Amino acid sequence: MRTEAVFDLAEQLREEGIILSYSGYVSEAILFALGEALKLRMSARDADALLVKRLFSIFVEQVQNIIRYSQERTAGPPPLGAGIVLVGEEDGSFFVICGNIVPADRIDRLRSRLDAIAAMDKDDLRRFYREKLREAPEEESQGATLGLIEIARRASLPPSYDVVALDEERSFFCLKAFV
Amino acid sequence: MEKIVLPPTPRSPSVDFDFQTGRLGLRGEAYPENAAAFFGPLLQAVREHFADGGRDPTEVEIDLVYFNSSSAKALMTLFQLCEEAAEGGRPVVVRWWHGADDETIREFGEDFAEDFVHATFELREKEETPS
Repeated sequence: MRTEAVFDLAEQLREEGIILSYSGYVSEAILFALGEALKLRMSARDADALLVKRLFSIFVEQVQNIIRYSQERTAGPPPLGAGIVLVGEEDGSFFVICGNIVPADRIDRLRSRLDAIAAMDKDDLRRFYREKLREAPEEESQGATLGLIEIARRASLPPSYDVVALDEERSFFCLKAFV
Repeated sequence: MEKIVLPPTPRSPSVDFDFQTGRLGLRGEAYPENAAAFFGPLLQAVREHFADGGRDPTEVEIDLVYFNSSSAKALMTLFQLCEEAAEGGRPVVVRWWHGADDETIREFGEDFAEDFVHATFELREKEETPS
């Protein structure tokens, strides 16, 4: 990679308001280290402690989704999932974006879950969280729905997502939540 | 049963389970690397403690500043065990602590409270500590 290209990438991240970025394999230890970096960065900005807690909560659930559900993964130990993590600021609000490759046949279910969550108000989300907490975790998903509801509850706007089909078997899935 | 005492880490709470006195406490942060590995043995110990069907009172103190959704599942299981023990006749009190301005933790407490019929659930606000 040319130096100019590295500089352009750094500039682009800066222009997009990104304050923290990571691309590659993520483990729980890396999640922890990135979380510490995020907290330091936020405290250097004198951000409100409760806002930082909400941002951190969204960050943890999002990054754990990469570790658990990215299709590019190693079983470990420790389990690793590949993806991209971006935390930034846009018009005075902080956001967390996470992207990773998922099997194409999971997309429909993911869409319907996220669309249902996006249509809910705070009270609906609270009830839905309680309901999911009482259920045994769904197969293969280790309580993924609970994590998505948690993200939506801490977010100031419904989390938005997008999907880019890579081929018949793989799609790139991206979730963005503003705190 | 043997006491379980674990120091807090940046991502797991301090654990102070004294089965002799019936006082069980969790304090701090809760997003352990592996929630099942962290909470599994604790829940198993509580299960065994309650299994004797005794009537000695149990007090559970939960003072968490943050927990992730995987830990919420474990808390739910802990509370279900408490509720079952109370239904069986053991006096059980669960005290849920939250910061004065921490609406997130208070809301979680309110939601957990709805599941208790036989055990007593107390929502407690922490005194402000000067920072």
